[in-house]
Amino acid sequence: MSQKIHFDEIIGRYRSDPYDYVDMHARHTGKVRFLVDEQAEVKGPSGEWKHIPGTPLYEITRERNTKVITSETNGTVSAINWDADNTFVEAGEKLLTIRHPLKKKEIIEAILQEVLFLFPAPERARYYFSMDIQSRIERKGARSVLVKPGDEIITMSLMKRDTPVYYTGEPGIIHSIYFRPGDSIDQGVPLIGVCAEEKLPLVQKIITRVKADWE
Amino acid sequence: MPQDKPWVSHAEIMDRLRADAAGHCGPAGGAEERIRRYGAPVGCVVEHHPRLDRCMLRLRHLVHRARARNTTLASGTVVVADSLSGSSGRFDRSWHAPEGGLWLALAWADTLLPRYSALLPLAVGIACCETVRALGVDGAIRWVNDVHADGRKLAGILSETMATPDGERFHLLGIGLNVNNMDFPPELTAAATSLRAETGCRYERRAVAIRLLARLAWNIGLVHYCEERGLAEGGAAVAGPATAPLIDRWRRLSDSPGRRVVYGYDVVKTPLYRARVEDIDPEGGLRMVLDDGSLLTEYSGEIRYLD
Repeated sequence: MSQKIHFDEIIGRYRSDPYDYVDMHARHTGKVRFLVDEQAEVKGPSGEWKHIPGTPLYEITRERNTKVITSETNGTVSAINWDADNTFVEAGEKLLTIRHPLKKKEIIEAILQEVLFLFPAPERARYYFSMDIQSRIERKGARSVLVKPGDEIITMSLMKRDTPVYYTGEPGIIHSIYFRPGDSIDQGVPLIGVCAEEKLPLVQKIITRVKADWE
Repeated sequence: MPQDKPWVSHAEIMDRLRADAAGHCGPAGGAEERIRRYGAPVGCVVEHHPRLDRCMLRLRHLVHRARARNTTLASGTVVVADSLSGSSGRFDRSWHAPEGGLWLALAWADTLLPRYSALLPLAVGIACCETVRALGVDGAIRWVNDVHADGRKLAGILSETMATPDGERFHLLGIGLNVNNMDFPPELTAAATSLRAETGCRYERRAVAIRLLARLAWNIGLVHYCEERGLAEGGAAVAGPATAPLIDRWRRLSDSPGRRVVYGYDVVKTPLYRARVEDIDPEGGLRMVLDDGSLLTEYSGEIRYLD
């Protein structure tokens, strides 16, 4: 975590370009066919359970098995790798970019994520705080809960198998919680953001500053 | 304390596994031998107790004790008890474990890739269902792995993963199978049944245990075989057809596809939505169609039937 935050520079950066650029890569090998054009408006998944898929972006065919890949976020298609259209691509090849307009809350989170230690989901599963952490959060609030390496902080539930997840980052307080207990979370997505106690005032300053400066 | 002579010997389990082989609907050819080898550690140590608090707790104790001795618990170690004083189901649900039932837990070293270890709970459900069917009860699996007869629960399964401070990980697979026990507490009377209640026959619990452990050896071995196939077919990224031998087996035993269900993580306390089950996917996820026609796949949680 960096102690020095150049507010003006960071906020200036978001003011001049208040977007997140989400790159979409080929999920696996296969022949790609794009279903959108550049500048197309796309939507992310919707519905109470996020069960209504977003806008179809491209289809990828491997061994006569065609999958339609949909958008995970709202925004505009800002770039398409047309060289990949109707050709066979390797897994991981960049296919297109979606420009997602950021809201104030997202900007605060984006800045905080540069400052906090992010603890990611180890697997795609449903996540719950461990009973001890949950009761401490309920009693005192997350920002009073100190975690240190080796603490059992979360239970991962996958196919009715419960696995304790142990914290592995820097000691600190749970500043941000990025999931609701019971949410299904993809592998690698941050579950919590942890902040060293002494850096809490700095983090609060960031929030206050963005709230004050951002229209 | 455990008895000196094993209640069930590993040789008895392996004999049963070989005897069952002819009836397996699994992969053909040399695969059978590999599956048996993968599953062979099941029951390598069987510790029997007249009474325990919980079998899972005893297994945890054995894992920590082995570590304190600078060794490791043998993968496949099984703890069996005639009755349990502190048994429980998931969450805070009650599970009645008197004499007459089969209460056991298995420790399995975590050597599988995560995509495949997620299939272990399915494998245990298959093993339990195959066991009750072999004993004359028309059991079926309700996703993920509840084994029931006409909606009454015959077997319950708990799956947990534990890690020691030095990073050694075990899957602890707890199984409660109602065998000869006929009396259930009032809150479970309508929801539970036993092999004896279903058939009127009294079963020799040792024989049931040997049969169940042999089925566990086969189906856990099958999960490892699926992983081997998946890696040979291009890596761990996509389970795809690699898991078909296990998933097809589950489909044949389950009555979930086609049913109208209510879904929730803790479906008793917090039901989330209603849907119709379409199928399970190659990773064991439950594919459901919601009332608005959209598809949703869940990899955790549980269901109850509405029809």
